[in-house]
Order: sequence, then C-alpha cells, then structure tokens
Amino acid sequence: MSSHCRNSGRLLFILCVIVYLCACDREKREYRTAPLPENGPHAETLSALQPGASAPPASDPRGREYENNAYHINQGERLYRWFNCNGCHAAGGGDIGPALMDDQWRYGGNIDQIYATIMDGRPFGMPSFRGKIPDTQAWEIAAYVRALSGNVPKDAAPSRREGMSATPPLSQTPKQPPKNSEQEPPH
Amino acid sequence: MHTLKYALIWALMASRAFAAGGAAPADGAWTMPAKDYASTRFSTLDEIKTDNVDKLQVAFTFSMGVARGQEAAPLVDNGTMYLVAPYPNTLYALDLTKPGAPVKWKYEPHPEQASQGVACCDHVTRGAMLWENKVIFNTLDGHTVAVDASDGKELWKTKVGDINSGESTTMAPLVVRGKVLIGNSGGEFGVRGWLIALDANTGKQAWKAYHTGPDSDVLIGADFKPFYDTDKGHDLGVSTWPPDAWKTGGGTAWGWISYDPDLNLIFYGTANPSPWNAEQRPGDNKWTAGIFARNPDTGQARWFYQFSPHDLYDYDSINENLLLDLTIDGKPRKVIARPERNGYLYVIDRASGEVISADPYGVVNSSTGVDLKTGRLQYNDEKKPEVGKVVRNICPTAPGAKDWNPSAFSPRTGLIYIPHMNLCMDWEATPVNYIAGTPFVGADVRMFAGPGGNRGVFTAWDPVARKARWETKEDLPLWSGALATAGDLVFYGTLDGWFKAVDAHDGSLKWQFKTGSGIIGQPVTYRGPDGHQYIAILSGVGGWAGAIVVGKLDPRDKTAAKGMVNAVTDLKDRTTAGGTLYVFALPK
Amino acid sequence: MNALQSALAPAADQAQAIDGIWHLMLWICVPMYVLVLIGMAVVILRMRRVAPEFTPATPSDTQISRGLTLWVIVIVAGLIVLTLGSFFVDRRLIPGAQADVNIRITAQQWWWRVEYVSADASQRFMTANELHLPLGKTVHIDLMSGDVIHSFWVPNLSGKRDLIPGRTNTIELTPRQLGTFRGQCAEFCGLQHAKMAMLVFVDNENDFKAWWQRQVQARNELPSDVAKQGEQLFVSSTCAMCHTVRGTTAGSLAGPDLTHLASRHTLAAGALPLNAGSLAAWLADPQQQKPGTNMPTIDLEPDQLNALVAYLLSLK
Repeated sequence: MSSHCRNSGRLLFILCVIVYLCACDREKREYRTAPLPENGPHAETLSALQPGASAPPASDPRGREYENNAYHINQGERLYRWFNCNGCHAAGGGDIGPALMDDQWRYGGNIDQIYATIMDGRPFGMPSFRGKIPDTQAWEIAAYVRALSGNVPKDAAPSRREGMSATPPLSQTPKQPPKNSEQEPPH
Repeated sequence: MHTLKYALIWALMASRAFAAGGAAPADGAWTMPAKDYASTRFSTLDEIKTDNVDKLQVAFTFSMGVARGQEAAPLVDNGTMYLVAPYPNTLYALDLTKPGAPVKWKYEPHPEQASQGVACCDHVTRGAMLWENKVIFNTLDGHTVAVDASDGKELWKTKVGDINSGESTTMAPLVVRGKVLIGNSGGEFGVRGWLIALDANTGKQAWKAYHTGPDSDVLIGADFKPFYDTDKGHDLGVSTWPPDAWKTGGGTAWGWISYDPDLNLIFYGTANPSPWNAEQRPGDNKWTAGIFARNPDTGQARWFYQFSPHDLYDYDSINENLLLDLTIDGKPRKVIARPERNGYLYVIDRASGEVISADPYGVVNSSTGVDLKTGRLQYNDEKKPEVGKVVRNICPTAPGAKDWNPSAFSPRTGLIYIPHMNLCMDWEATPVNYIAGTPFVGADVRMFAGPGGNRGVFTAWDPVARKARWETKEDLPLWSGALATAGDLVFYGTLDGWFKAVDAHDGSLKWQFKTGSGIIGQPVTYRGPDGHQYIAILSGVGGWAGAIVVGKLDPRDKTAAKGMVNAVTDLKDRTTAGGTLYVFALPK
Repeated sequence: MNALQSALAPAADQAQAIDGIWHLMLWICVPMYVLVLIGMAVVILRMRRVAPEFTPATPSDTQISRGLTLWVIVIVAGLIVLTLGSFFVDRRLIPGAQADVNIRITAQQWWWRVEYVSADASQRFMTANELHLPLGKTVHIDLMSGDVIHSFWVPNLSGKRDLIPGRTNTIELTPRQLGTFRGQCAEFCGLQHAKMAMLVFVDNENDFKAWWQRQVQARNELPSDVAKQGEQLFVSSTCAMCHTVRGTTAGSLAGPDLTHLASRHTLAAGALPLNAGSLAAWLADPQQQKPGTNMPTIDLEPDQLNALVAYLLSLK
C-alpha cells in the first residue's frame, strides 16, 4: 500500500517535471529579438520543377521556432485580426481570399512560403505587407495560419477560440498537410 | 377593369421610356441592363407566351471564358449582342445575323490583376450600357471604358477609382443626357462613396458627388429639398459622424440608377456605411444607406431619404428603383417602388421623396416598421449588435431580404416580381482597424435559412394593395434578376442552375431548363434579326451567394464569405463554376 | 505632488465618501483596539499580583457580567455603525441616472483607450492614458476590456472598479478639486501590469471645454518639413497598421490614437514622460522600455527616427 503510494508520488513528481519542462518551451517568449533584416526566405520556390540536379529546398530556421511556439501562434491570432487578414480569409474559411484551413495552397503551405506570401503579396489580390508588418509579426501570423490547417504541434495550437467560435479549437483541428493543388488563376 | 387600368399606366410609361431613350430603339432591342430608364425590365415582346413557352429550346450558347460569377445582362442592338465577362472584363460582340452568333469582335481592357483583391464579393460586373453606337462599361480596377459598338475600338478610357484605397467598379453605368453615371464599390474597404458623371463622348469628368462629407462635396445646394426634417441641415454628411469618420465612411453606389425625364431627375441608392461595426460610427451616418434624387446635368441633389439611418446590419441601399405611375387612394402618383434590403417594399413619391408606404415583403425582425410621419426606420432594440456579444437570429441578413439582383414590373399585371432570400443571421460586432486597401468590416456573421427552411422566395408584389399576390418558395437563395414580358411570363434563375419561366398571374411553373452552372445573372429578351423573340441569360455561379463555389471556400468556417457560406453549405455539391451564355427561342 | 496617488487625499465626492468611511473605521476601530490592549494589560498585570492558586471570583460576578454586557454592547454598536456607514457609502458610489460627461474606457494590455462620448456624434473623440474631467461635474465612465480583466483605480477620485471582457461596468466620479491625479491598473493583467497607469486632470469648466474642442479637431498643420517627412513615413510604414492620426489615412485602433499625442504628458501608459528623448528611446526599442508590449521593435534609420519624433511631437 505505502509503496504504491510512494511510487505514484514519484510518478507524479516526474510528470510534473516533464510538464514543467515542456511548458517552458511551449510559451517561451522572446519580446526583443534583435532587429531582423527584412529579407525573409526568398529562396522559396513556387515550382516543383528545377532544371538540372535538384537541390534540397533552403528553409529558414526561424520558421520552425515560430510554429512550435504557443506564444507566437497566439500573438499571430491577435495580429491576424488587427491587420484585417480575417476581412479576406474569415476565420480560415476564406472570403475574398482563399480558405486557409484546408489543404489547398496556391503558393505553398510551409511556413516559409506563407511568410513570403504575406511579405511579397501575390498577383491575384494578396497585398504585399513588406514594410508594413514587421518581420517578427509576419512570422507570428504565418505560424497562426499554419495552425488553422492543423499543421503545428497540438500542444502549441490555441485550445480556445475567441468570439463566435465559428470553428472548433485549433488544437482539435485535424492535421491537413499541404496537397498538390490546382493552381490559380481561374480565368 | 384591373387590366385596363394598368394597360393605361403602361402606355404612359412606355411612351416616357422611349421618349427618354433619344433615338428610340425598336422594342426588340435591350440597350441597358434595366431595359428602360424606369428600370421595369419589362419587354413588350409577346411571341413567347404562357401557352407556347414549354417548347422553348436552346438557340445558341457561348462560353464567356471565365468561370466566375456572371451577373451581367447581355445587351442587344442592331443585330449584335454585347457581353461583358467578369474580371478580366473582356467585352464580346456576337453577330446575331449569322448562324450560331459568331464573335464579331472582342475588346480586352486588361485591368490590374490585383483588383481581384479588393472586390468584396467575387469579380463580378453587372453589365454595360449601349449609347449612340458606344458600349460603355466599367472594369473591376476602377476604369470606365467606351468602345465603338461597330468595330470594338477603344474610344476613351477614364480612371475613376483607386484600388489601393479599396475602390473597385462593378456596376453597370447608365448614360443620361450624354452623361455616363458611375458609382464606386468598396463599402467593405472603408472607401468614401461617390457617383461620378463623365461626358459620354470624351470620358471627361462632368461632376462628382460624394456620399459623405461637407455639402459642397455631396453637391447639396439651394435645390436640395428633402421631405423629412432629419435630412435638413448644414453639412450633415460631417456632423452625423464621429470626427473624420466620414472620410472612411462607405456609402458607395454600386447598384442601379433610374431616370425620370419629366422631372429630369436620376434616382439611386447609397450603400452601407463603413465599417459594419456600427459602434465605431455613432450618428445617422448621412448620406449612406439612402436614396438620392439628383439633376443629371449638374449633379445637384434634389432630395434624399435614408432607409436605414445608422445602419446596423450592412443594409446597403443600392437596390433598383422602379419608376411607376400608380393610382394610390384614388389619386395618380408618380412613385418609386423599391424592394429594399432592410426588408421593406417602399413606395416613395419621386417628386418629393415622401414615403407613401413601406411594408415587409420578407421576414423582418431587425426593425418593427417604418414611421411614416418621420420616415424613420424603427430598429428593434433586442437585435441591436454590440461589441463582445453575439446577437442571434436577426432577419433579414447582411445581403438583405433582397440584394442587388433586380426585380421586374409588368404593367399588364401591375405586379413587381421580386427574386429574394429568406435568411437570418447571428451577428457579433468586433473592433476593426482601418488600414487603407484592406477590408474594414468588423462583424462576424453566420447566416442560415429563415422560418420555413426555404432559403429563397420569388414574390409577386402588388404595390397598390401593399401585399404579395403570390409567392414561390425556392430552396436556395435567389441571386438572379427577373424579367417580365408581355407574353405574361416572368423569367428568373436559381443558384443551382435552373432557368425558369413562370406565369405572371399565378406563379405556376411553365418551363425550366438546367444550365451548366448556377444562375446569378439578369435575363433579357430581344427580337432577333430574324424577327423572332429570344430569351438570353448568363449562367455562371458566383457573387456573394456563390462565393463558396468559385472561391473554393471552406464551409467548416461558418463565418466564411461574411457568413454566407453557412447558408449555402450544400451549393458545392449542387453546382460548379461556369460561365456560359444561353439563348433560347421557340422552334422555327 | 505627494497627493498624486493617495486614497487619503480625496478630491472627488466618491473618494470623499470612501475617506469618510475610512476615518469612521479608524475612529471606531482604534479606540476598540486600544481598549482591548488595555484590558489585556490589566489582566496580565493583575495575574502577576494575585496568588498562584486559583480562587473563583464569586463576589464580583455581577460586576464582571455587567462589564462584559457593556463590552458586547459597545462591539455591536460599533459594528452597526460601521455596517450602516459602509452601506450608505456604497449607495453613494452607485452611478446615478444622469451624468454631465460620459466617457468609455477600454482597457488593453497594457494601456487605456479613452473615448469621450457625446450625443452629437461629431463631438466624440478618442485619446489614451489620460483623462480630463471638469470640476464639480458628474462623470460616468463605462469600463470595458479588450482582452483580460483589468481594474480602474484612481485613489484620489474613487475606489476600484474592474474592467471585464464581455461586460460593461460603470463608475461615477464627481471631482471637487483641481489638480492632477494618478491612476493605476489594480488587477494583475500580465507582464506589464505595473506599467499601466494613467493621469487624470481635473480642470475648470472652461479649460475642459477648450481641451475637448482641441481634441475633436483633426491633427494640426505640420510645422516643419521634418515633421512632414515623419508623417509620410508614419502613414506608409508599420505605424499606420496600429495607430490613428485623424487627418491622415492612418486609422487603426489597435494602438492608442495619436492625433493629439503631444498634448499628453506620458508615453506608453505612464511608463515614460513625454519628451523627445524618451519618445526616441521608445520608438527605437519599445521592447526594452516595456518588454512584451504589443508595440514592435522596427528597423529605423537615425534620420527616420528623428523625423518620426519631430512629427509626433508636433501633434499638439
């Protein structure tokens, strides 16, 4: 009996430590990143075709940090509304702009590509926010957009949605990896 | 007796319409989307009638080349049909004198690609206007173009709007006394609404009237004599807004303009104030969500009436104004009949701006009625939106009991044929930031079917008796215009692609045809070079109602397309994007 | 200036009432406390003098019971007075039906959005982190929150009242003394809770009206070319994504309205005094001044920074 107690106590302690350690990373807040040069991942390609031997795509290490971090994803959610992203993409279902909660990506669905889409704009109506949205905030928005289609770790995704709760919590959104998509333009 | 009375009215009206048209086109032509300046969409052609319409068959078709919402009306004159496609707004002229109506010429305006990002509800255009051998139309990126109707050569092109501030141009221009009248779209982007008049021969600006701001900008001067006291005063376009909010206050004019040559007045409505979140713009928000009467030569306002003061629900007032001469209480009255987005059918004296009657033609709980003494809409406090609160079950919805899709009037029956919707919505106002060129809305909305479960209704309304004569329930919301003919038929289309002809007297279905895609266009009829009557309609789902299909939106988000997606979640399974002209005739 | 933030220097009817109950409590509780201490001291001293063996105090039973009864009566009376006092003070703090001035405050992490309300829509305006109140007038402040729970507390004027997301609380203030008072968020609301302050200026009516008239205006004419460059930068860059300057295209409400920034006295909700030096420091690196604030650090060249400072300081 008592050994059982001791065992479960030890287990609880170990669990607490694990949870504590996980939580550290999950919400790690870096308020003051060194001013980043405004030249994000331009190495992103939009085509799967490359002449000659294909090189592995270059990816920006910052992307991974942002999309694994609950604080940044939450900030992204706030900024998504502040900067009227919801005006065109609604809560992810789309409106003037395409849906962001599905597996269809006209310009690529990894975080580097989403970052590039926000910063550079796209020719069929997506404005370019370069010089308007600071680098760190664009990464945060991109991380949130990834969360809309369930492509961030479950423990980093917000477990609650504000307001009318049009869609289920993002931590319950099924993961929808980007698929090969039919391309814009429709005309 | 009844028929006789209306026949008389119709004769009066018809004579006016043709007198106004300058060189009166044969009634077989269709030179402006609304058919005539009175916006009746009534044709005197009667070859196709109730007892032979069941034989109607396809005469020819034509692909518009764009699988986007086709809201335009085909225009016909001199044996040629003119079609404007949604963005990229290619203009086609089809030669009706040859078999199969081959392309005579086409004109490509090459609008700015990015303009698709500021078009609130699909990349639509509502058509062109034929005037003195010119085809005049707007491109999505804020340009007005005049093209030679014989050979497709560009005559002039004038920039009227700026996409970087969120402006686009989707309406069909109207030419009145040599002035091309155009309004902007962009009420969801916080633009400042205006109506501009260009010289039809040169494209040079004649006047521009804003719909917010000081009287000098609104072209309110000594001639301005509104009927109601609330519209009288100095610079109301400034003082009924928080400081400077009128600069981003919306009140665009993207709908329909009518013209009365006797009074020499144009009538058109102004759209919703921006943003949708009404808490950010306390005050009456003049001159949005109302109707202006203006002198077309100078632009000076004659009167104004506000349908939805301090609009709470995006009730744009851009709907069509049918200019009718009715006998009301034994007196002949020159009126505007208007199925308004807020759910009331208004009958307004068009000389003075007095509201004669306003009766709900659909389910309305957002307001309790219109006070005919003050003219003021009585909002229902229970349904008043507040930031941080979800207000449930508001009817009608943001697109209104009826949106832009125009109704028709048949002088033979005295009825207005209204294709409209039966939807309600939940609404949560949210704080919104004005960032030029991005949407300025501030409301999370989800829509759903209204009482009864049918999402669309086709109503035949008697404006004198102030009640519906008959109603046909439609499963899907109606987003197409209506057409009435002297064959006592009324035509309209549905979102899943059925093109229908119903009896003008009782609404019984006489004929229907399933087109390739959903119909949100404006049916027209004309007499072909062979002397026979034809019916034409563009098929191609889209617009706000069809955004779920053409925009490939995700129905899991109930607020997608400003809540419209939630009302038509099944539409993706019932139709696909398209863009085809269908022309029907009786077999030879 | 000692009285800048003190509940003991009441400058409004409401704070006066609270001050009254405070003094009432003081004057009832202190004598009670002293009496208890005296009683205890007497008992302790007497126990020392008497013999160690226990002797029941039979002869003076009635005396003791009389004394205890009196003591209970004193306690009950004191409590009744305190209860009644606090009841009546509470009633005085309930906002009445009418107010001369209506204000809405929306608390944000970590600043106060202030909106002056008027039945005439064109006389409304927004400001931030500063209140101006007219002397002797009744002011109603509707309190709301844009994110988490905050609490509005200007001790010289009234007690605390929470700002809760999804509901509206109202506080009434009737200032009776000219001067400047400091308020502070009184409910922990996140990392920069401590730097969420506000200043309240009680003006005479003419000054208040003049101030209101000034605030309603769009931004004034820019005095210099540098300021014009600053505005160009402001409206075309990150600034306009969050801030409003009326009279320009910048119209976002995410951050404080800056139309009349230079008429205010502090920056970042009381975190810094408003002057060229602190403004430049704030713009150059807000995350150092107030880590975690939603104002981002952006890349600014020195001449851009100078232009922005010149511009913002010209917004009187």
